[in-house]
Amino acid sequence: MNSHPTEPQNMPEWLLENEEYTPLPDKDTFINKSILSLLSVLSRIKTQSAGYTSRYSANAVVKVALTLFLLIMLSLSQNSAFVLVVNVYLLAVLSLMEAKQIVPILKVSFLMAFFTFIILLPAAFWGNTYSSVMITSKVFATITAVGILSRSTRWSAITGALKRFFVPDIFILVLDITIKYIVMLGDFALSMLYALKLRSVGRNRNKYTSLSGIAGTMFITSKVMAEDMYSAMECRGFTGEYHVHSRFKFTAADAAYIMIHAGIFAAYLYLGRN
Amino acid sequence: MIEIKNVSYSYAGAAALRDINLHIKKGEAVAFMGPNGSGKSTLLKLINGIISPDQGSYLFNNEEITHKKLGSTRFAKLLHQKIGFVFQNSDTQLFCTDVYEEIAFGPRQMGISEADVEKRVNDCLALLNIQDFKDRSPYQLSGGEKRKVAIACVLSLNPEVLVLDEPMNGLDPRTQRWLVEFIVQLNKSGKTIITSTHNLELVQEISSRAVLFDETHTIAADMPTEQLLEDIDLLKKVNLVDQYYHCHVGKDHKHFHDHNS
Amino acid sequence: MHIPDNYLSPSTCVVLAAAMIPVWAIAVKKVKEEVTKDKLPMLGICAAFSFLMMMFNVPLPGGTTGHAVGGTLIAILIGPFSACISVTISLLIQALLFGDGGVLAFGANSFNMAFVLPFLGYFIYKFIKDRVHSAKGEYIGMAIGSYAGINMAALCTAIEFGIQPLLFQNAAGQPVYSPYPLSVSIPAMTIPHILVAGVVEAIFTVAIFIFIKKVSPGTIYEGAKQKTKAVYGLVIALICLSPLGLLATGTAWGEWGADEIKNVVSGGSALGFVPEGMADGFRFEALIPDYTVAGLPDIAGYILSAVAGAAILTIVFKIISSMKREKVGSNLE
Repeated sequence: MNSHPTEPQNMPEWLLENEEYTPLPDKDTFINKSILSLLSVLSRIKTQSAGYTSRYSANAVVKVALTLFLLIMLSLSQNSAFVLVVNVYLLAVLSLMEAKQIVPILKVSFLMAFFTFIILLPAAFWGNTYSSVMITSKVFATITAVGILSRSTRWSAITGALKRFFVPDIFILVLDITIKYIVMLGDFALSMLYALKLRSVGRNRNKYTSLSGIAGTMFITSKVMAEDMYSAMECRGFTGEYHVHSRFKFTAADAAYIMIHAGIFAAYLYLGRN
Repeated sequence: MIEIKNVSYSYAGAAALRDINLHIKKGEAVAFMGPNGSGKSTLLKLINGIISPDQGSYLFNNEEITHKKLGSTRFAKLLHQKIGFVFQNSDTQLFCTDVYEEIAFGPRQMGISEADVEKRVNDCLALLNIQDFKDRSPYQLSGGEKRKVAIACVLSLNPEVLVLDEPMNGLDPRTQRWLVEFIVQLNKSGKTIITSTHNLELVQEISSRAVLFDETHTIAADMPTEQLLEDIDLLKKVNLVDQYYHCHVGKDHKHFHDHNS
Repeated sequence: MHIPDNYLSPSTCVVLAAAMIPVWAIAVKKVKEEVTKDKLPMLGICAAFSFLMMMFNVPLPGGTTGHAVGGTLIAILIGPFSACISVTISLLIQALLFGDGGVLAFGANSFNMAFVLPFLGYFIYKFIKDRVHSAKGEYIGMAIGSYAGINMAALCTAIEFGIQPLLFQNAAGQPVYSPYPLSVSIPAMTIPHILVAGVVEAIFTVAIFIFIKKVSPGTIYEGAKQKTKAVYGLVIALICLSPLGLLATGTAWGEWGADEIKNVVSGGSALGFVPEGMADGFRFEALIPDYTVAGLPDIAGYILSAVAGAAILTIVFKIISSMKREKVGSNLE
């Protein structure tokens, strides 16, 4: 199998000549789009591990619980003033964050709110303006709230916080593994997409075959990665139990956070009393 | 052929290339060297049109390659046909069900007749000595065999320039030897070769000119390979080698066979 | 097909989440039985795989692109119970960590994409495969299974949307959540899936499966050998429900799923329309005219406006100065 000829081989003619080639038109934007969406996902995960710790940082458990609480209140509320109050509160929180966190959060919030608005336009046309305003503003608030949570908290802290919500340790293990592997598999997929792009020199009649080749190779590789990972875990003493350690120290930030949300709850009750 | 003028590029806020100036003529065999993270791979990506410079310009065959132009699929495809890129990780380069399909992928897209495609594929299989793997799936091959398939599937496009990112990595010494001879042959056939490598033993055989990158993401040196390998102070300065490095190049080195072919 | 928050009432979300709890519990139990602890990372990796699959843009005729979900594919590759868990985790990550929406609707989304889609798809596949003993039979089973799976998931989503205006109205009789009744939501969601998304899903599923089978057949789930009659009853019942979507009357709004909207806009084709007569259609009193807000005492309205104004100005300044900093920085280097 490994016999290498020692004397130089004859190069085939076509290799010695310049290729006079004009590419045929073909639509393969799907490659670029897939690359872009993967890139955005991967960079999102990689940047979040930088972990922004500010003075206003409350404990992850508190943040997750209160964010959920806020989302529930928003969903239940039928008072536009209340939704407004929440939006103002969220804007205030945003203004305390750094620009590089604010911009991506707002981008998604505005985008989602915009699409919601568009989707609800026909209903408004039919005379139902309530939904357009209400749901759009609720969507803005919801996305912003979750965005603030996910961009100001280390994800390992968020997944660890789930333990307090009676999620079994084993789920949290799988969750943490998943995030790590989105990065690894994602990088792998990204390289493959680049390889496809670089060899897409003309008209590809079998786009689905190429794309499924990439997905298929990803799957097979993921199985190998899984086995490797398990061996690595075993070598470091893993026996099947995963203990999530979370240090819960109640700080002033936590107290402030809770009080603010208590105030929001009061606003909810007050405004919803009619 | 390849002109890089005052090119700078940064990613995620960190500089990856700073004010790079480089001119590569047709038919040259150039090696990019430098410590990890110095920007070699980034420059290779730029040459292949995967990324575009933030500042400065990149010209290929006297045509400027810009982000905007690369947005046109026709332009990008032509560039990708002319410059072939062999990745460092062969696993990510191969996505077809068997080796034949893998090598045929490129030429098929070019609208070449199926008979000619078959000829090209068979030629590549013979050149790389992987005829036995024709019907095997790339996934099942060993590292060195995958590397050969990767080279073959890029070669079948008949590019003018061949860019190889750390091609010696993971190959056993014999296969490395074979690859060296193969690259030399390709260069003699008229292909421009750009290799990024850490392999200081073999680099002077696959290149006549070496470009040295340093940790500030600029070019520290651009000179004939043998000359660079002898400048140990420079190599130490860019942190490519430590104080124990020494190499056998030049007059005082004895070979056991003749290189003059 | 991902349902964002605020379209479904909290009670709907709770009901669907509650329905998922036994499903999850059974899935965990089954996975523990079938999957040894060394296969645990496999679940995470399949979740990652499912997540990434949803990121792939799949080419559609005309040069546009779409997305596939791959739920049935994963069920075929690693088994339906493992697939349920993997897709669930993938949805959780998308909602909570990526913040794309669907935190409260997590139960609903799981029901549609982690339960209905993979299970229906898998059992149809198995049903056909066990009866037509050939490679072709397997592929046909896969195609039909994934097609049916995604369409049934779309139908469930449509029903969940559609019953909102019926059940949840405010004092003025206006729908509080998703305002589109069944007559709109069903055709709006099911038609694009029947015509396009389902076909894409089927092709993608079969193509990837063929690739994996050829390259590395050992990685595929062998499947439990026993036939469960109850499951087939469920399958048949679900199949019978699907014509409902076709019988519903009402205007077809075309692509109204949020995902479809995104694709239509990004594919370059024009979206929708601007309804005429909007001049009298919209009233923005609910926002802040004259610094007062209905329902709040005036002073609160002023304070609210002040806080909002300050916050917005701060944000704008921060963003501008960060952009300036980047420009200056790159010149220095």
